[in-house]
Amino acid sequence: MSAQKDCEFLVKRARELVSDDPCAAKAWLITARTLYPADFNIQYEMYIIERNAERTASAGRLLYDMFINFPDQPIVWREISVITAALRSDSQDKHAQFLRGLFETLPGRVQCEMLLKATEQCFNTLEKAEMLLLLLKRFPESVVQHGVNLGETLLEAEASENVETAVNCFRKLFVCDVLPLVINNMDMRLPASLMQKYMLKAAEFYIGYVTRGPSPDVQIQGKSGLVSRGSQRYVIDGLSEKSSVVAEPWERLLDILAVVGARCEWQGDKGQRSYVDMLQRVKELCRYLPGLEGDTRFRCCSQVVICTALVLFRSAFLYVSAVQPALFQGVNALSSGPWILVEDLSSVYNDVEVERGAVKHAHKKRKLADGRERTMSSDDEEGLGKGRSRHIVVNKTEMPSWSETLESFRIARESWDLLHSHDGLETEFKKICASWKTDSWLWFRIFLTDMIIYQGQYRKALSSLLQMAAVQQPQPGQQSPTGQTSLEHHRALIQQASCHYALGEYRVNNTEVVMTLIVVIISEHNVLLLPCTTKAILPFCLQLMLACFKLRAFADSRDDLSLGHVVVLLQQDWPQGELLFLKAVDKICQQGSFQYENFFNYVTNIDMLEEFAYLRTPEGGRIQLELLPNQGMLIKSQSVCLHHTVTRGITKGVKEDFRLAMERQVSRCGENLLSVLHRFCINEKIIIIQSLP
Amino acid sequence: MGDIRQSLLPRDVLSAAKELLYHLDIYICNLVQSGRQPPQVDAKTLELVEEFILHAPKDRNAPARRMSALQELQLLEIMCSCFQEQSRDTVRQLMFSALFSLQGNQADESRMSLLGKLVSMAIAVGRVPILECAATWLQRTHRVYCVRLAQVLVDDYCSMVPGSVPTLQNIHSTSPRFCCQFITAVTTLYDLASEELTPPLELLQMIVSWIHDDPRLVLITFLNTPLSGSQPISSLDVTPLGGLVRWCVKAPLAYRRDKKPALTNGSTESEAEAGPLFSALHLSVLQVFMLLPNILNEKGLFGRLALLQMESLAALTSDLSRLLDQADKHAHTSSAETHVLSQLALDRLAQALQVAMANGALLCSREDLRAICSRLPHNNLLQLVLSGPVMYYNNIHTPPLTFSPHSAHSPIASHPTHPAHAPHTPLATHSSSHPQYTTQPFMTGMPFPFRPSH
Repeated sequence: MSAQKDCEFLVKRARELVSDDPCAAKAWLITARTLYPADFNIQYEMYIIERNAERTASAGRLLYDMFINFPDQPIVWREISVITAALRSDSQDKHAQFLRGLFETLPGRVQCEMLLKATEQCFNTLEKAEMLLLLLKRFPESVVQHGVNLGETLLEAEASENVETAVNCFRKLFVCDVLPLVINNMDMRLPASLMQKYMLKAAEFYIGYVTRGPSPDVQIQGKSGLVSRGSQRYVIDGLSEKSSVVAEPWERLLDILAVVGARCEWQGDKGQRSYVDMLQRVKELCRYLPGLEGDTRFRCCSQVVICTALVLFRSAFLYVSAVQPALFQGVNALSSGPWILVEDLSSVYNDVEVERGAVKHAHKKRKLADGRERTMSSDDEEGLGKGRSRHIVVNKTEMPSWSETLESFRIARESWDLLHSHDGLETEFKKICASWKTDSWLWFRIFLTDMIIYQGQYRKALSSLLQMAAVQQPQPGQQSPTGQTSLEHHRALIQQASCHYALGEYRVNNTEVVMTLIVVIISEHNVLLLPCTTKAILPFCLQLMLACFKLRAFADSRDDLSLGHVVVLLQQDWPQGELLFLKAVDKICQQGSFQYENFFNYVTNIDMLEEFAYLRTPEGGRIQLELLPNQGMLIKSQSVCLHHTVTRGITKGVKEDFRLAMERQVSRCGENLLSVLHRFCINEKIIIIQSLP
Repeated sequence: MGDIRQSLLPRDVLSAAKELLYHLDIYICNLVQSGRQPPQVDAKTLELVEEFILHAPKDRNAPARRMSALQELQLLEIMCSCFQEQSRDTVRQLMFSALFSLQGNQADESRMSLLGKLVSMAIAVGRVPILECAATWLQRTHRVYCVRLAQVLVDDYCSMVPGSVPTLQNIHSTSPRFCCQFITAVTTLYDLASEELTPPLELLQMIVSWIHDDPRLVLITFLNTPLSGSQPISSLDVTPLGGLVRWCVKAPLAYRRDKKPALTNGSTESEAEAGPLFSALHLSVLQVFMLLPNILNEKGLFGRLALLQMESLAALTSDLSRLLDQADKHAHTSSAETHVLSQLALDRLAQALQVAMANGALLCSREDLRAICSRLPHNNLLQLVLSGPVMYYNNIHTPPLTFSPHSAHSPIASHPTHPAHAPHTPLATHSSSHPQYTTQPFMTGMPFPFRPSH
């Protein structure tokens, strides 16, 4: 005989009726509520009937009543948390939509209060933030009160949770959702320092997002070439796949920059339209910088550094994404392979003497070597060191977007120069780099190295390459797939060798370089790059080897092995090396004899064969040539030889085996030279390494 | 206007009626223009209407002029367009009452007949001004005549012409005021006392759907009428709530009663269909009650105006008690079913009483309720309602649950009252003593003996 029992009786009757006669059940509950308006269970039962029938308006009305009358009921809060979860989710199912519709029926004041209280009851930082964000988005007036706090909470959470990268759920929420609300709210007065801090947080996030590496599992598929990189999925830890997507990151960053610029009253800022325009404007601004003082100067410095740094990172990214697309997720890697910026080595065919005397003034040329065939000529107006306006040669058909790529490279270099044109700017820029840990950004290191190589600062480039090797050390938790690592590694080695060559350091360190080159060549062919890329890398490596051997071969002391290697290597790009070949022949004539047992294995050039055949003749000087390996190998293959008439009458008076070998060799002239030379590298690896200077 | 009689006499019936309508229009326009308050149509004019439009015999000697059916139809059409074209409300209203206000004479029969035809036609062709005038007429006229008009319309639309219900259905949107009055009239007409007085299923369906779609519909007249306490004697209730409550409470037993052996076919069907309809209707009625506190408060009438009358509730409970007795007598065949239906009726009664009381539609004490329910058999919910909630329920937010009959405000009756009452005397008969009902002994402070045993 208590109120409690009355209420239980009333609710029980309603429950009994609800399936057969819902109207009667509701009539019971209405009656019950007028009897016991303070009983929660009666109202909850009413709500449940409407909610289960998904009647938005009446359920909303009852929820409102419960929220007002029973703010402390755990069941109400459970219900509210279900609804707010539906608001946060992107689920399209019918019930989630009903719950969202239910929330919409509530008066704004109640929605606001509900979200605030739901937020208070939430212990998970991320959920709490998402909840508060719902509030801020719906009720712009609440941004003033909660916006900055929410932002700070997220940044604190990021710091305290020790996340490894700026691309994390807290930062994403902060940058993409909270920040636009805060900076676009004109009712708030934010100090410029805070705005700049937020600007940099945003920039770090967007850059990190754009330059994120491909996820490991996809990489494995990618190697088989079956998966197009455009369709990769990417999920930021803690977020759904949908909310992990950031559309148009560079544009969003520009938007934020425009607002921050306007609010910080930056000079000449009329809404940033593009990154290129921005660099122009900042350059002009820089001219006034030395004349400024105090606060104005400080503000101007910040503006220049932030704007320029963004241009730098964007352009460097565009450049590296063209040169090394496989580094990034979402960049289409299939359209163009990796490219390597190296010194143009076509001068290797020049005479040793000329070169020796003119190392300092040699025509240093750079070229962007990709893994494919290319024209490799370039020229360089200025000498070493400065390298400001050097020409980069690219095979335009191989790289359709060459002009954009080179333009990005140029803009990035200009931005870099601008940032280092002034102590004040450099200090500020270094602060940014330090806080973003740009040292650990492999892609940026690649850009920097290429820039240094372009500038002709080879010594610096070498140390940069060493740093790159350090960056490449697989980091815990971020396991780089093997293919990627070795590609990067070889890339670095090739560039290292190129730098050494450019420095004229044939003797120093070259053992290692050439050895690794051979390794590269071997591995090239077997696993690493797409097969066609060997065609471009191999000639470059051969040129480097030639550069190493030619000094030794033409030294005063006799070194038949080196000379033989030179002859083999000179076959490439024949007749560019004709002059050097004749010099070698001269040297052989002077020696009166020449021993190189690999001759018939790797020399297939008809001109060279003729020359050697001639050397044996009386007219040629009866030079003693020992070119047969143990005199045995060739005889075995005699049977397959075709008889060719060799000019200059070498068939007369020469030993039979040499003649046969020569004839057989002539028949090989049609063989693919690159595969002959490739075989040379592989088979003679040990000899080559041993005979290195 | 009397002088035109001579010009009307030689004319044929239709053109005379037409001519009179024309002059009546001009006459009333002038009357309104003259600004005399209140504008009063003179007796001479009313006589002309009776003679030339209603064709009541002027005197015993004169031959009765009659119209053919076709002429009557033409006259109705003319009247329809006449009301349609008159743009001024006041003129229309005066004209309508000049034609159809009952005069307590011989002509009233033909007046009612013509009115029935006119309103029926107006519904068919959607003449809103006529429906509005008819709504006012239904507010001012004695309920007996209102019920007669309703009967005509129900016959026309629900019985005579099959499939014409949808036309009647439209009136809730064309003229909500008329629709509301129509519901009141229909619920007054059909009191479920006999089979004839049970609403046709189509009508029931229509009313349920009207109220379900828009519960405020039943309050339209109440919302639009300035309450002065000067309701004409014996006019309809200001809302159909009382009638609807009666329907819902009596329905379980009334429809059962129809299920006599002689009427097995069809009745079972209508019972099966009517059951859910009344359940929905009952819920709608409770929902309308819940709208009342805001409306009453806005009008400053909360606790002063009883939309449900104790007298009619007393009549209902005594009817119900009689029906229950009868049901018991017939119950030898299916007593379980009878019990269920009886309990349903009592549940609904209890619910209606409680919700009406809590929302200020019923101004009385629980003691008053116990008095009128004393003869009813046991029902858990009813006992709970009659004893009231347990008041030590720990709740500080509870709004006042019931209206205190000893409130400082003096109640105003929505119900036609006897003019003899002084203006500040409580008008509704809700005072605690109802000598005509035998009361159960009840001692305050004692646990109510019939509180449900849970």
